[in-house]
Amino acid sequence: MKLKMKRKEAIIFVVMTLFAVVMIYPFYFMINTSFKSNAQFLGAKGHSMLSWHKLFQALPVGRQLLNSTVVCAGSIAIILVVSTMAGYSLSKLRSKLSWLFFLGIVGAMLIPLQSIIIPAYINASHLNLLTGYWGAIFIYAALGTPFATFLMTSYFRGLPDDLIEAAICDGLSYRRIFSKIAIPLAIPAIVTIIVLQFIQIWDDLLVGLLFIQDPNYRTITVGLGALSAGRTTDIPVLMAGSLLSAIPAVAVYLIFQRQLVNGLTAGIGK
Amino acid sequence: MKVIKRDLGHQRRRVGIIFMAPALILVSAFLGIPIIQAVYYSFTQWDGLTAVWTGISTYTHELRDPIFWRVLENNGLLLIGIPVAMLLPMGIAFLLNEKVPGWKVFRTIYFLPTAISWVVIGMVALRFFAQEGLLNGLLKGFGLSFIHTDLLSSEKGALFAVSLTFIWSMVGTNTIIFLTGMATLDNSLNEAARMDGASNLRIFRSITLPQLRRFIQFSFIITVISAFTALFSLIFVMTGGGPGFGTTTLEFFIYQNAFSRGDFGTGAMLGVILFLMMAVLGIGQLAIMRSKDE
Repeated sequence: MKLKMKRKEAIIFVVMTLFAVVMIYPFYFMINTSFKSNAQFLGAKGHSMLSWHKLFQALPVGRQLLNSTVVCAGSIAIILVVSTMAGYSLSKLRSKLSWLFFLGIVGAMLIPLQSIIIPAYINASHLNLLTGYWGAIFIYAALGTPFATFLMTSYFRGLPDDLIEAAICDGLSYRRIFSKIAIPLAIPAIVTIIVLQFIQIWDDLLVGLLFIQDPNYRTITVGLGALSAGRTTDIPVLMAGSLLSAIPAVAVYLIFQRQLVNGLTAGIGK
Repeated sequence: MKVIKRDLGHQRRRVGIIFMAPALILVSAFLGIPIIQAVYYSFTQWDGLTAVWTGISTYTHELRDPIFWRVLENNGLLLIGIPVAMLLPMGIAFLLNEKVPGWKVFRTIYFLPTAISWVVIGMVALRFFAQEGLLNGLLKGFGLSFIHTDLLSSEKGALFAVSLTFIWSMVGTNTIIFLTGMATLDNSLNEAARMDGASNLRIFRSITLPQLRRFIQFSFIITVISAFTALFSLIFVMTGGGPGFGTTTLEFFIYQNAFSRGDFGTGAMLGVILFLMMAVLGIGQLAIMRSKDE
């Protein structure tokens, strides 16, 4: 019996290892290829740092990593402020209009980016939002807010009303309760939103491509997308860029895997 | 006391609306108003500067355009990949759920593509499917060199390559969804059924699947939404929508119409069509969940 269990486990282990190879191969390919020159990639033996040097010549890598960071930080800050307030309002400060607001927010989750991108682009150009970071920051913030609000609403619903009533009896206002009690208790949900949004915004191409017109403000993902669509056919250089652009999001993923899973499955409800 | 209570209710409503305002303003300004504009402009001929009202004719004209149907066909073909993009992860989740030593490491590896941008995935996929890429190398290695593929050079082949890449990248997300579902399973039901002599298959069909219903639905919705609205960057990097219109899906067609051809009116209209498709899907999902709750 025990032997049979062992065999079953062994088979599962082998199958899972095979799957793991399929999933991880692209990363191996990226790393391996990025340490080759183009000639080495096309057949010659050995490894070199040449493609990494070329990458830093072809792309203002440092600047673009900084741009990505600024855009992510700006959008996420807006999303957090706006969605925690709205979630608190929708769960603990309910009025007759609340269901309507909630419906509007949930409805906005159904709007695909591609459906609004043309009018949003024209509006942003009229408002001069295409020159710096702001156009992209606002669009990312608006796209992330509905789901973040949904998440915060269901999280705050879990806070007992007694707690709030007790605080009111102690003379705290609804605003003070929000900043002194609700927010500190919501840290896990807030971390989930940060992780989810960071990966989404860091990895996005379309919004950055359209809403950041000045190449100096381009994010790393857009820079890479432009590089691949442009003249560069030097595969090792592209792989070095891919690897570099992927590292921050992968690092966040590895550290905050649990929060990411929580965020992903939050939409299922209980 | 009563006065205080009424005062409190008043305060609550007032603060409630103030707290709601920033989210409402942000979402209205950058999603709400643009979607209304999109509906308006879908009835016009619009180059981004001047819009000329043309009424319903933009729609009727587009519906008669064979390219539009070609694009929708691509969306339809992408749907064929969806059962695979769900069944494969379900199988993987079952294996992971056996909790063989090291399963957490495997889980981390399978979920990894979730953190990678479509741009990067597309670039690697491009190399994989290329003439001298790994796919052909593998075929050769297995002694199948007579099947020398050049998927990306034919319309159907390119779409197939995009679908495969899409399925690969959905594995992580769907595996996690099913794994979460399996953690909620009530094992005592299985035991009881086994006592009654039910076969494994029967247990799976009659006990496990119904319990996973909600998770299957969720995975389905996520997968369809991704197939229709998340593949822009992948297509942009991998094929540019080609060859011909081979990999132009509706979302890519919107971009092409507006930003390559400057036909913003048609782009807006296609956006409205995409929105309607997603709205029907979302409302259908809500309706199913409601009916199950009651």
